Amino acid sequence: MQPARSIKRQPALHMFASEYGESTLSEKGSGEFDPSFVVTKIGSRVNRVVVAGLLERIEGRDVANGSVIYQGQLRDPSGINYFSVGDYVSDSVKDLTIQLSARLESGEPILILMIAKTRLYQTDEGAIYTSLRPEEMCVIDTQRYASWLAKTSQSLMERMSTYLSSLDYDSNVESMAKSDLSEQQVLGLVASRNHYGDVDLEHYRLNVMQALDIAEGRLEAASKPAPQRQLVEETEVKDKEVEATDDLESVILDIITKLDQGDGVEFETILINAEARGFQRSVAEEKLEELSDNGTVHEPAFGWFRLV
Amino acid sequence: MSDDKYESHIKAVLSECPDADTDEVRAAFIKYEEEFYIPPQDALRSIIRRFQSDQAPKSSNMSSQQPRQTKKVALLSELAATDRDVEIEVEVVSHNLREQTIRGEQKQIAFGLIEDNPWEDGATKTRWEYKDWGPNTNITPGSIIRIEGASVNEYQGRMSLNINQGARVAVLREGTRPVTQPGEPIDISDIPKDGYICLVGRVLSSRDDQIHRKDGSGSIDVVRGRIADETGTIGFLSWEPFSHEVGSLIKIDGAQVKTFRDTPELNFGRTTKIESFHDANFANVEKLNSQNMKSISQLTDGARDVETVVQITEWEKRSFTKDGEERHLWSGQIADPTGRCRMSAWQQLPIESTDLPVTVKLTGVRVRAWQGIPDITVDKADQVEILSSAPWDGDIDLENHVVEVGLTDIVNSASRVGIETSGTVVSVREDSGIIMRCVECRRVTRDGECSFAGCVGKVESQQDVRLRLVIDNEDVTASVLINKDAALKLMNTTENKMAKAIENEGQMEYVQSIRDYLLGRNLIVGGRTIIDDQGAMILADHAEISGDDAAMLATEVRAKWGVN
Repeated sequence: MQPARSIKRQPALHMFASEYGESTLSEKGSGEFDPSFVVTKIGSRVNRVVVAGLLERIEGRDVANGSVIYQGQLRDPSGINYFSVGDYVSDSVKDLTIQLSARLESGEPILILMIAKTRLYQTDEGAIYTSLRPEEMCVIDTQRYASWLAKTSQSLMERMSTYLSSLDYDSNVESMAKSDLSEQQVLGLVASRNHYGDVDLEHYRLNVMQALDIAEGRLEAASKPAPQRQLVEETEVKDKEVEATDDLESVILDIITKLDQGDGVEFETILINAEARGFQRSVAEEKLEELSDNGTVHEPAFGWFRLV
Repeated sequence: MSDDKYESHIKAVLSECPDADTDEVRAAFIKYEEEFYIPPQDALRSIIRRFQSDQAPKSSNMSSQQPRQTKKVALLSELAATDRDVEIEVEVVSHNLREQTIRGEQKQIAFGLIEDNPWEDGATKTRWEYKDWGPNTNITPGSIIRIEGASVNEYQGRMSLNINQGARVAVLREGTRPVTQPGEPIDISDIPKDGYICLVGRVLSSRDDQIHRKDGSGSIDVVRGRIADETGTIGFLSWEPFSHEVGSLIKIDGAQVKTFRDTPELNFGRTTKIESFHDANFANVEKLNSQNMKSISQLTDGARDVETVVQITEWEKRSFTKDGEERHLWSGQIADPTGRCRMSAWQQLPIESTDLPVTVKLTGVRVRAWQGIPDITVDKADQVEILSSAPWDGDIDLENHVVEVGLTDIVNSASRVGIETSGTVVSVREDSGIIMRCVECRRVTRDGECSFAGCVGKVESQQDVRLRLVIDNEDVTASVLINKDAALKLMNTTENKMAKAIENEGQMEYVQSIRDYLLGRNLIVGGRTIIDDQGAMILADHAEISGDDAAMLATEVRAKWGVN
C-alpha cells in the first residue's frame, strides 16, 4: 500500500565534490513544503549530502543587516565544495564555525565531515554555482576520513552503474518505467539526461581510484597525477606547463562564450569562474590581459570582455 | 620517503610566498600527507594560504556572489520589468523556431506566446511573448510548463519573458505523468490510503453484519468481507446489499478507500458499480487464500480476518472486574522467524505454561497495536488450531531471536519487535544526553515541569540518559532513540561522567562532542520500531559502531566494481 504523503526527511548521499560541483540543474516542487533537489550529471537527485575533506578556507563576511556570513571551502581528492554558514543555522554549528575559523587561522590542518543541504544559485550573469549549507558537522580523524572516502566511492560507483543502466532506455518517464529503476531514480535520470545530454564518466572513475588509494593509505599512488596522464609521462615538465596555460586560455574563452548575454562578461565574473575551476586568480588575470592584448578578446566597455 | 617528491609543490608555494622558509613549507607538506592523508597537490592551496596569511594582513575582498531570491508568481501581471530568476507555471500557446546569428554564430532560438493561469478553465488569462534561448526541446504548444529562472524583458512598454540558457523548464501536463483513468482497474498492492478506485478481484469471504448507530437510533445492515488479487488482499464493507458469492470474480468501480488505523478498507456505497468479471487466468480462491497468510512482520494495526502461524513463547491469565463481573483475559508473547509481538485471547485456549513454546495457526483474528507493537486479538477459541510442529526450522530460539532487516524494509513495513538494522548517523539531536522525566508518566519534562494534562503541577522528575539520532542509508531515514544502558555503552561513559561533562562544557558543547564521535559513522542498532505517519522510529536497546575499516571497505569496492 502506498504511504501517505507526509513530509519525510530527505536522505543524505555520500558525494564527492566533483559530482556535486558539476551540477547545474535544480528542481523544486510547486508545493510550499516540497523539498528542493540538485540534480547531478549522473541523475542523482540530492537534497542533502554527507561530504568531507580538508577545510581549506573559512572566512566571515559582514552583511547588510549586521550579521556575519561565513563562507568556506572543503577539499576532497576530486575537488572543492563551497559552503556558507549564515544566521539560520543552529547555535552549535555557528559556534563550531567560529572555532574552526580561529583554528584554521593558526595554520592547523583540519579534516571536516558535514551533513549539508544542497543549493544551486545563479549570478546575475547567469553562471550557476553549487553551494552547501551545513546542518551538522564535526572534525574527524584520518581513519574516519578514509572510511568516508571508501563509502563515497562505493556510493558513486553505485550511482554510475544506475546511470549506465538507464542509458538502455529513452530519456522519458514512460520508457524508463519499464526498467527496474525506482520512481525517484527515474525522475532524476530523465531530468539529468534531458539537461546535460551525454556525460563522460571517466573522471568520476579516476576520482574513485584516487579516493580508494588514499583510503587504503597508499598516498604514494594517490599523489601521482591522474593515471590518464601517465601515458604521456615522457613529456617534459615544461610541456605540461604550456599545456596548463593553454588549458587556462580555453577555460577563459569558454567562460566568456557561455556567460555572454550580449554585453560581454564582467572582469570579476571571469576571474571568479576561472578560480572556481582551480586556476589562480593572478594567473588568470594575466592570461586575460594577454588575450586582450593579442586580440583574442576585446573590451567593448571598461571591465567587460567579449570574444572577437 | 624522499623529500624530492615535494619539490615542484614547494616551488609553487615559494613562487606565491617568496618569504616563506623552504623547510617549513616541506614540513607542512609532510604533515598534511602523513597525518591527514592529504596528497600534496590537494594540500597546495591550504599551505599557500597559510604562508600568505603569515606575511600579509588579509584583505577581505569577497566579491558579491549574493544569491538572488527566486521570485515565484502565479500570474504574469505580478511581474515587474526588472524581475530576474522568475518561476511561473504557464500554458504554451505557440512555439516557433528561428535561426539567428548571435555574435557571428548561427544559433537556433524559439519564440512564441505563453498564457498564465493554466489550471483554471474560463479564468482571465494574460498572454505574453517569450523567447527561449535554450532552446528547450520540451516546450511544445498546448503543454503546461513550469519555467524556473526566467527573466522579464520590457521593450517599448511591452513585456516578455526570456527563458535563458540557465533556466529550467519542467513539463507539468502532457503525458509525462501516467494518469489513472477512472474505470481503469489497479492492483490491490497499489491502493492508496484514500480516494476512489476501480479494482478487479475475487471474493474470498463475505458475511452479513450490523453496524449500530452510536446514538442508539437503530442499526444498519452491512456486508463485510475480503477480496483479493494476485498482489494482495483487502477487506471491504458494503453499505448496500452484496450478493456475490465467495469465489466469484468481480469488477468494482468507484469503491472508496478508507483507512482504519493503518489498514485500508474498501467501502461500497450507492455510487459503486459492481459487476461480474470474466478472466479464465485469474488466480483461484485456494491460491489467493494461501497468500492471505501473514507473517508477524506484515501485521498492521486494524487488520482483520488475518491468518497466520506463530509460536506462543509466553502465556498467562489475567483477571479484572468490569461492570461488577469478573472477567478473564489471556495474553502473552508470540514470535515467528520475522519477529515478535503480543497476542491476547478473550476465551481460554488449551495451552498450559508447561507446554510452551506452542505453535498455533490462527484464522480470522484481528490486530490491534499498542505503542506500535501489534497485538493479535483472538475473540473465540475456535480461531486457534494447535500444530504439532512449526513450519520453520524448529531450532530457532524465537524468544531471543533478532532479525536483521535492511533500513529500507524497516521504514516501509509495519512496526516490529526484535529487529536489528544499520545506517549512517546523519544527525545527533540537541536533546541527546541527560534528560529529566516526569516520575508519573515518564514524559520528558520541560523547565522542570511535566506538560501532560494528567500531571500538571507535579514537578518531581527523574534523571535519564538517551541519545536521539537519525540514521540514513541513502534511500530512507529513521529516527533512533537509544536507551540509557545502550547509550552509555556506545559512548563508553557512565551517567556520572556524562553529567559532569555536561556541567563543565554545557549542553551544546556536549552534543557537539557526541557529533564528533558519531556523525558520518555506520551504526548498528537493535530493538523495536514504531512506524506511523511521523515516519519511522527505532527504539534501540543496543547500538554499536561498525564497518569503520576503510581499507576493507575500499577492497570491497574494488572487488565489486572492478576498480583497479
